[in-house]
Amino acid sequence: MRALLDFIAKYYHWLLFFVLEGFCIVLLFQFNHYQNSVWLTTANTVVGRINDWEQQALRYITLGDVNQALTQRNIMLEQNNLVLAEHIAALTHDSTRSEKLQAERLEDIKLIPARVTTNSVMRRDNLITINVGELDGVRPEMGVVSGTGIVGIVYMTSPHYSIVMPLLNSHSNISCRLRGTEYFGYLKWDGQHPLYTVLDDIPRHARFKVGDIVETSGFSNVFPPGLFIGKVEKIENSDDGLSYKLRVHLSIDFARLHDVAVIAQQFQAEVRTLEQRADPLINH
Amino acid sequence: MITQFLQRLLWLVVLVTAQMVVFNYIHVMGYATPLPFVYLVMLFPLGTSRWSILLWGFVCGLLCDITSLTLGIGAASMTLVAFVQPVLLQLMVPKDAPEDLQPSFSSMGFWTYFNYAAILTLLFVLSYFALQSFSFNHIVDLSIACTSSWLMTFLFCLLFEGLRHGK
Repeated sequence: MRALLDFIAKYYHWLLFFVLEGFCIVLLFQFNHYQNSVWLTTANTVVGRINDWEQQALRYITLGDVNQALTQRNIMLEQNNLVLAEHIAALTHDSTRSEKLQAERLEDIKLIPARVTTNSVMRRDNLITINVGELDGVRPEMGVVSGTGIVGIVYMTSPHYSIVMPLLNSHSNISCRLRGTEYFGYLKWDGQHPLYTVLDDIPRHARFKVGDIVETSGFSNVFPPGLFIGKVEKIENSDDGLSYKLRVHLSIDFARLHDVAVIAQQFQAEVRTLEQRADPLINH
Repeated sequence: MITQFLQRLLWLVVLVTAQMVVFNYIHVMGYATPLPFVYLVMLFPLGTSRWSILLWGFVCGLLCDITSLTLGIGAASMTLVAFVQPVLLQLMVPKDAPEDLQPSFSSMGFWTYFNYAAILTLLFVLSYFALQSFSFNHIVDLSIACTSSWLMTFLFCLLFEGLRHGK
């Protein structure tokens, strides 16, 4: 404070000079129209320029936030894009090739609707009873499907009922492949969790990843190829280390299974007869 | 002290009145207007407190402004000159000059005073015309007006000094 007072005492004439000049300038602009207008014009220009600079600086300073917002927006748009791309792919896929293929596949297939009467999931060898039998055209070895995937294979038939060996049975053994590749293996149940099963014998050189779709291969003649089974959940080595063992998350919850359908392939009987006739020849 | 004050007051009244009655009506060739009221600032002796010079200059300029409707222009220029005058005088007189040296032909020598008066009047006229025109769009006219007015102001200041000295 004292230093400030000393400073003022020493340079008071500067202070007085600036005060007086400031007063003069005020008078000048206040009472002289010409100088006033020039001052206003110049001041406007200068203030405008300064505002411009300020805006530029502010814009530069807020670039960080803008950048963040843009990044988030970008991510959102990318996700949107992905979803839309999937939609488009699904639509174009469905409407052209896939639908046609599906229609072709199902041309010689007859679906027999059925209802599950008894069911179990807790045992190691589960069986399902359905309310259709020989009189409805059901024969052993026919495939059974539900709306979301395959259920199993008909094991025994009576006139009005049939017993189905579902995927959740240690004797069940269904030929599957990974969608998009031609690598196939056999689907077996390890008797542990009713939502998971194991796809074995996938060769070591096959390229796939977690989340790939597992579908029927069509080799067994029980199911047409391409029926949905589930998705790859985990990739492990098989016990002998020569192939992959995939843990598959099933698309069907067997504990809530109600409505199913039996697949009656037109030429299944013919094919089986042919195979039976060929058997003795091979065994010889 | 009082005498000195009254003397300055007298000079102030005379200069302002002369400016109002006579010099404001002189426009030689439409350009040159003498502004010799700056002479008041040139009177202050060495060692005068700076605030008093500033106030005298300011008041004199303001009175001239009021009487000639140029509010702010004369006052600002006079304040500037009053701020510079003590510094200039200090620079122009010898180091061993008396502390209350009164600027005049006899005390400073003719040429030194001549330069002293020339610099102060030039500074004053430049400031005055810069504020009055407030733009450099008519730089040629402005230069002519500045130069001619400066010459006339300067001559009148020397004349006043001569008269005072002769008294």
